Amino acid sequence: MTELFAAALFVFVLVTALATAALRDVLGVVVVFAAYSLGTALFYAFLLAPDVAMTEAAIGAGVTTLLLLLTLAKTVRPTPDQRLERPNLPALAVFGALFVVLVATVVEFPAVGEPGVMWDNPGVTQYYIENAYEDTGVENAVTAVLAGYRGFDTFGEAVVVFSAGIASLIVLRQVVFTRE
Amino acid sequence: MSNNSSDSDSSPGDWTTDSPMVSNPAESTYVESQVIMTTVRAVTPFSLTYGLFLMFHGADSPGGSFQGGAIIAATVLMIAFAFGVAPTREWLRNRTVVALAAGGTAAFALVGLVPMAFGDSFLAHPLFEEEFGINTKWGLEAIEVGGVAPIVAGVLVGLFFVLAAGMFRDGDATEPRTDGGAANHNRATRSRTGEEGSPTPSTGTEARTDDAGMPAEDTTTGTGGDR
Repeated sequence: MTELFAAALFVFVLVTALATAALRDVLGVVVVFAAYSLGTALFYAFLLAPDVAMTEAAIGAGVTTLLLLLTLAKTVRPTPDQRLERPNLPALAVFGALFVVLVATVVEFPAVGEPGVMWDNPGVTQYYIENAYEDTGVENAVTAVLAGYRGFDTFGEAVVVFSAGIASLIVLRQVVFTRE
Repeated sequence: MSNNSSDSDSSPGDWTTDSPMVSNPAESTYVESQVIMTTVRAVTPFSLTYGLFLMFHGADSPGGSFQGGAIIAATVLMIAFAFGVAPTREWLRNRTVVALAAGGTAAFALVGLVPMAFGDSFLAHPLFEEEFGINTKWGLEAIEVGGVAPIVAGVLVGLFFVLAAGMFRDGDATEPRTDGGAANHNRATRSRTGEEGSPTPSTGTEARTDDAGMPAEDTTTGTGGDR
């Protein structure tokens, strides 16, 4: 049952990803991309990464889609002369090579949920798994890593998000986010 | 200027010319829908609660303040789509959005700097326990709830409103932004300025480009007419 669900989800994500790349109509691409993002979020949840799944669902499927739709409403939308994008052969060749390399690494991973897997870097990953609660008092190990062990990285990310807000004001030549 | 002129010179068949470079289409294309408004009314209390739950409970369950802040921002975006961007933008003041984003960044940095003041490293949370007897956990909670969540929520909401307001194009600085959008189309701008004897010369593209660089007054006065 779970295998069937995973296989169906995989096909769904694959089809929506291909449709995102192949479709010419921009509005169609935005809608299909949102579906792809939702499928990916389910996939992350299936792979026991609920934190990443929530981020993907909220940012990828939700907010990004709204922002892209808003951008489409603000601009003119060219009516596509054909339904599908013509494939670029050199790009396809590069993609094929990259695909082979990535698949070669994927088959080396241990199965999802396999018990007794020791990570190759016990000094880092295994340390977090074993000591995160004693060190930080936080039950969610992801939060312990993000806010504790890797707090400085998170600070950099937070500053990047803040800078993105400022940069959008500058690029769009506005001075305020909302009306006073 | 080059992209603007190419827009107006392109053949109309290639583009959906019904709304060329509309200034505020988020307002003008807004259609009041009973279904969407009822749905959003029903959903927003729960999504806001869920966002707050993820934010405050992220340390002990899946989720976290990034996800919580994003869902809180998505709640505001839903309200804006159901009830119109303009009323939402007036309800949520600029000061609030800026305070969330900038205050979150400052709070994050401040929590990190406190251990440095006591001679430890940046964001060394265990110091809180050693110096003040505060559990290490609250240092992590402080940067999650006080830092990351407000930044994400503020920036996402601000990004949405900035995109909804649109970009200042060359005609915008001289034309009020409430002219139904047609004023921003280059051809329309030229004909209007020519007929009404506006101080901006119709051929003075350089002057208009310079005006567009200082949109400060026009933002507030021009958009204020929408109310």
